[in-house]
Amino acid sequence: MRMSGLRPRISPLTFTFVLIVGCLTVGPVLMLILGSFSRGIGAFGVFTVEKYIRVYTDPSLPKILLNTAAFTVGSSLFATALALILAYLNVRTDIPLKGLFHLISITPMMIPHIVFATSWVLLLNPSNGILNLLLREVLGLKSSPFDIYSLGGMILVEGLLDLPIAYLIIAPAMASFDAALEEAAWVSGGSKFRALRRVTFPILRPAILASLALVIVRSLAAFAVPSVIGMPGRVYVLTTYIYRLISLGFMPDYGRAAAVGVSVLVTSTVLVYVYRRLTARSERYVTISARGYKPAIIGLGRWRYPLSFLTSLLFLVLIVIPVLVLLYVSLIPYVMPPSAKAFSMMTLKHWNYVLHDPLSLRALRNSVFLALVGATLGILLSTFVSYIIVRVKSAGSALLESLAFFSFSFPGLVIGIGFMWFFVRTPLYATIWALLIGYIATYLPYGIRPLTSTFIQISEDLEEASKVAGGGFLYTFRRIVVPLAIPGIVSGWILMASMFLRELSLSAVLSRPGTEVLAVQILRFADDSLWGQVSALGIVMIALSTTMVTLATLVGKHIGKSK
Amino acid sequence: MEIKVSALTKIFRSPSGEEVRALKEVDLTIPANRIFTLLGPSGCGKTTLLRCIVGLEVPDSGEIAIGDTVVWSKKQRIFIPPNKRGIGMVFQTYAIWPHMTVFDNVAYPLQVRRLPREEIRRRVRETLKFVKLEGLENRPATALSGGQQQRVALARALVSEPKVILFDEPLSNLDAKLREETRRELRRFLTELRITAVYVTHDRLEALTLSDLVAVMREGVVVEVGTPLDIYFRPKHKFVADFIGKANFIEGTVESTSEDLIRVVTPMGPIACRRAEGLTPGQRVTVCVRPEAIAIDRPGDTSGGTNTFRGRVVSLLFVGENYEGEVAVGKTILAIKTNPAFPIGEGEEVSVYIDPAQCHILME
Amino acid sequence: MKRWVPALVGLLMCLSFVAFSHGDELLQKALQEGKVVFYANITAVEPIMEAFYEKYGVVAEYTRISTSKYLPTVLTEFGAGKLLADVLQAPVPILEILKKQGVLAPYTSPVASAYPEWTMDPDGIIQIFGIEYVGIIYNKDVISPEEAPKRYQDLTDPKWYGKIVMPNPTSHATTISWLIGLKEKVFETEDEWWDFLQGLAANEPLFVKSFGPTPGPIETGERPIGISMPKYIITHAPAPLDWARLEQPLLGTPRGIALSSVAAHPNAAKLFIDYWLSEEAMKLLVTNVGEYVLYPGVYPPIEGIKDATVLPVRTLSEEELEYWAEKFREIFGG
Repeated sequence: MRMSGLRPRISPLTFTFVLIVGCLTVGPVLMLILGSFSRGIGAFGVFTVEKYIRVYTDPSLPKILLNTAAFTVGSSLFATALALILAYLNVRTDIPLKGLFHLISITPMMIPHIVFATSWVLLLNPSNGILNLLLREVLGLKSSPFDIYSLGGMILVEGLLDLPIAYLIIAPAMASFDAALEEAAWVSGGSKFRALRRVTFPILRPAILASLALVIVRSLAAFAVPSVIGMPGRVYVLTTYIYRLISLGFMPDYGRAAAVGVSVLVTSTVLVYVYRRLTARSERYVTISARGYKPAIIGLGRWRYPLSFLTSLLFLVLIVIPVLVLLYVSLIPYVMPPSAKAFSMMTLKHWNYVLHDPLSLRALRNSVFLALVGATLGILLSTFVSYIIVRVKSAGSALLESLAFFSFSFPGLVIGIGFMWFFVRTPLYATIWALLIGYIATYLPYGIRPLTSTFIQISEDLEEASKVAGGGFLYTFRRIVVPLAIPGIVSGWILMASMFLRELSLSAVLSRPGTEVLAVQILRFADDSLWGQVSALGIVMIALSTTMVTLATLVGKHIGKSK
Repeated sequence: MEIKVSALTKIFRSPSGEEVRALKEVDLTIPANRIFTLLGPSGCGKTTLLRCIVGLEVPDSGEIAIGDTVVWSKKQRIFIPPNKRGIGMVFQTYAIWPHMTVFDNVAYPLQVRRLPREEIRRRVRETLKFVKLEGLENRPATALSGGQQQRVALARALVSEPKVILFDEPLSNLDAKLREETRRELRRFLTELRITAVYVTHDRLEALTLSDLVAVMREGVVVEVGTPLDIYFRPKHKFVADFIGKANFIEGTVESTSEDLIRVVTPMGPIACRRAEGLTPGQRVTVCVRPEAIAIDRPGDTSGGTNTFRGRVVSLLFVGENYEGEVAVGKTILAIKTNPAFPIGEGEEVSVYIDPAQCHILME
Repeated sequence: MKRWVPALVGLLMCLSFVAFSHGDELLQKALQEGKVVFYANITAVEPIMEAFYEKYGVVAEYTRISTSKYLPTVLTEFGAGKLLADVLQAPVPILEILKKQGVLAPYTSPVASAYPEWTMDPDGIIQIFGIEYVGIIYNKDVISPEEAPKRYQDLTDPKWYGKIVMPNPTSHATTISWLIGLKEKVFETEDEWWDFLQGLAANEPLFVKSFGPTPGPIETGERPIGISMPKYIITHAPAPLDWARLEQPLLGTPRGIALSSVAAHPNAAKLFIDYWLSEEAMKLLVTNVGEYVLYPGVYPPIEGIKDATVLPVRTLSEEELEYWAEKFREIFGG
C-alpha cells in the first residue's frame, strides 16, 4: 500500500478546483481588466492607464462613493435584520403560518428586479403612488408622506430584493445549531432575550457575516434599483456611474467601465477576506454533533398572535402588495391607478400575447433548462468548493474562496461583456452551454455561501469517523457530508435555480437566436415599457420559481428523512 | 498487533506562522493485545499521537508501524490513509452520525467493505448484543442517551473486528456515575476481545483502572511508561508522581546506601527510604511519599523510631471516606489522609510515621 | 410582320427571363442558405420575420441588441471571426463606425430607389429607412389637446413643474443628440435654446435611463407629459397617449440597415434587405411598431403624423457627447 505523496490532505483536489473555478471566473474578469488597460474598446489594445485616470479623477466620484457605501451597507443591514427576525420566528418559534412566512421571505428572489422596483414606484412615487395617495386620503395630508426616489427608497427595495439571499443563509444555520447551548443560557439565569443576544446571535455569527457580506457584494453590483429608483431621484451609485460611462456615446467603452469595476472587485475581495478572518476560528461555532440535532421550539406564549399579526402585516405591505400590483398590471390594458374604469377594462390580452409568442415560449424552455441543469451542476461544484474552503484550511482554499467571488463581484452591467470577450474565443460561443457556464461561474457564491455556513456547523469528527471506518474521500462525501449538508444544498440549489431563471446581465449579452431566455424577453418588453407583457411573463416566472422551490424543498425534506 | 512509533515529530503551524511542536521525536512501542493508555495534561500531545496512529494527522518526520505494516514513514515516503489502516476508533464526541439509525451507524464500516447484506445484519446484531444495545437497531442515533451513544460508537469501532482500537477520551462526556460504570464495562469488553487498545485520557483514575500499561506524556514527549502500579508507586519522575496522584516531595541528600534501606537527610530529619539503584552518598534527591503512606498517631506513643516525627495538624478537611489534611513537621508541610474515626483536631500535636517501603526516591 | 412577331416574343421572353432570373436566382440561393441572421436594436419586429418566412420560406433569426451593447458585441464577434449576423440594423452613428471597421459590405437594394435621395450612402453601404422620432407625449386623460404644448418652448411653462418625464440628458446619448438637434435645426438663436434648457431644468423633469421607460409615468399619470416617442401611442394602445402637435419639426436619429461583409448567408441577407425595405415590410413596421419610416407614403397610424416634418439629427462625435453631457449636468444637476 504505497501512496504517491506524503500529504493525505486533498491538495491535488484543491488544486483541481482552483483550476476549474479559476478558469470559470478569472477568464472574463481578466479580459475586462485587459480592456481597462487597453486603448480602444476591445479587450486587446495598446497599453494605457488613461482610462483609470479619466474615471478616478471625475469630480462627482466622492459623492457617488458615499452614496454607494450608504446604499450597500444600508441594504445589507436591512436585509439581514429582516432575515434574522423571520428566520428566528420561522425556525425557532411556534408562530403560526410558517409555510407562508417561508414562502414570503423567498418570494422577492423570483421576481425580476426591474419589475419589483417598478412595482414599488407605482406604490410610493410622490406624485401619485397608490400608497401615498391612500395615506394622503386617510391622514388628510397635503403632500405625499413617502418619496421612493431617495436613498431610503433604494435601500428599502434593494434590501427586500436581497432578503432571500440573507434568509437562505441564516435559516439553515438557525435550523441546525444546538439548542442545548441556548438552553444552557436560560438555565444559567438569563432571560430568553438575553439568551438570544448573548448566545444565539454569537453562534450565528458566521451566517450573519456571510449574509452581510453577500448582500453588500450583491448590492454593489445591482443595477435595477439604482436605475429605476435612484436615477429619477438623482442618487447615483457606482453602477449608475458605470452606466453613464457606457451609455454616453455610441462607442461604449467597457474598458473604462471595467476600470470602475476593478474597485468594486477590490472592495468585494477585501470584504471576503475580512469575513474569512472573522470566521477563522470557525471551530468555535461547530454545533452539529451527535448530541441535540433538532432545534428546540420556543413558545411565544401570549405574544404568538400579536407577533404573527405584525409580521404578516409587514410582509403584506412589503411583498404581497407589490406582487399583487404585478398581477393587476398584467390584467389591465395599460398602466393606470386602480379605479372602476381600470377594473372594467380588464383583459387577458397581455396573457394571450405572451402565451402565444413563440419566442417567449422558447425563452421559457431555455430558462427552465438552464435553471434545472445549471443549478444542479452549480450546486455540485459548490459543494466540493465550499467543502474545500471550510475543511482544507490552506492558502489554496483561501484562494479558492476569493476566486469563487471573482466574477460575482464584478458589476453585472460589465461582466457580460467580459464573458463575451472570453467565450468568443471558444467554440461554446452563442450556444446554450456558454450561458450555462457563465451562470455557474458568476453565481457560484450563491451555492457556496449557504454551504460553507452549513459545513462550518458540521463537526469534523463525523467525517473522520467515516474515514477511520474505512470510507474513502468520495464515499465519506456521499454518505456523511452530503446528507448532513442537505439543508444547505437545498438552499443553495434554490438560490441558484431561481437566480438562473431570471438571470439578465449575462444573458442580455450572450443570448442569441435559439438561446433566448426569459429575462431577456422580459427586458425586451420592458425596454418598450410594455408593462402588461412584462408583468404577465414576470408572473409566469414567479410561478415557475415557486414550483421549483416547493419541489426542491420537498425533495430536500424527503432525502433528509429517508437517510 | 504491536504498534511501533519511532522518532515521531509533528509540528502545527498556525495561519499566522507560529509553530507548535506537538510531538517531539516520540519513540513508543505499544504491545499487542494490551490496553495501553496515553495519559497527560491537555496539550501534551496524546491526542495528536493517537491521530497520527490512525492517520487523521500527518506527522512531520519519523515512522509508524502497525504489526508488520509501515503505515507512515517519512523516509520511505509511505502514507496509508486512515480508511486503509483497519483501525477502529471511538471519538471523544462519539461522532455518531445524526442522520442515521443505530443500525446504519454500526453497519457503516461493513457497508464500506461491501459485505453481503445478510452478513452485515448478522454482525451488527452480534456487535450490538455485545455492547448490550440489542433491540435499538432502528432508533435514530440521536434519540439515545449519552451512555448508549457511547456504546454505539464502540460497536461501530468493533464491528469490523479490527486488530487495533483507539479511544480518544471516550468517557469525558459522561456524568461521574455513568463514567464509572462504563469504565468497568469497557475493561470487560476489551479483556474479552484480546485486542490492542490505545486509550487517551487526562483522567488518572481512568488510566489506572483501565490499563495494562500507561504512558505519561508531557509537552510532546513520553516521560515514562509502566504498569499502573509502577507508575503509581514507583514513578521515576516527579512530574509523573505528581500527575498520577497526590504526593509529598521532600528534597534531601543521600547519606548512606547501606544494605536494605537508604538514608536521606532532609529538612524534617533523616528519612529511611526503599532501595533504589545507582545512588551515591552526597547526591541530591527527592523523596516521594503518598499521603496515604503517612500514619498519624497520638504524640509520644512511638517516639524515636525510624521515620517517626513529631508534627502539628495545620488543617483538616472531611471528604467522605477520610480526612485530607496537612501536618507541619518543622518547616515541612506534609499532605496526609486519615481515618475519620480517628479523633484529632486542627492545631493538635501528633506523631507522624512513614513506612520506609513507601518512601520512594525519584531519580530526577 | 410575321417575321418580327416571333423575334419580339423571343426578345420579350429573353428580357423577362433575365429579369425573373435575377430575383429567382437570389431566391434559389437564399433558399439553399436556408436562413438569415439579423441583429437589430429596433424592437418588436417579429411580424416582419414571420412575414418574410411566409413569403420566401427562408428563416429569419432576429437578435435584439441594445444600443449600449451593439458595438462591443458586433466588433467582438467580428474581431474573433465569429460575426453571426448577416444583416445589421442600428442607428446610423453605429453603422458608420461599423463601416469604418470594415464590418459592412456594399449592397444597393433595387428597392432603395423608392427612398429619398439623402437616405442613400454615397459608398452604397448604409441604407437609411427610418427615423427614431422624438416628440412631446402626454396623457390625454389628464391634459387636453388645448393645454398641450404647441412649441418646444411651451415645456418651460411653470405649469409643467413636476409633471415632466424625460430620458437622462446627462447620460443618454440619443437624448443629447436630440437636444443638440433642437439647437441646430429648430431654435432660431442659441440664446433661445439656452432659455429652453434652463426653463426645462427649472420644471425639474423626472429622469429615466432611456426612452423606453418614458411612457410608463405618462400613462399612469405620475408625470403626465414627457419627452418621449410617438410610436408608443401604437405600442401602448389603448393607453391614453397623444402627441403634442408642434409647429416645429420633430427630430430623431436616423435608422439604417446594411449587409455584413462576412455574411454566412449573403444571398438570404440580400433577399432580407430587399424585403425589409419593401413597402410591405415598412407597412408592417409602421402598423405594428409605430415607427417613422422614409418609404414614401407609408406612415404610422397616428393621427396627424402625416403632416409632421420629421428631420434626422446629425451624428455627434464622442468628444461632443462628453462635452454636452457635462454641460447638461451643470444645467440639470445629477
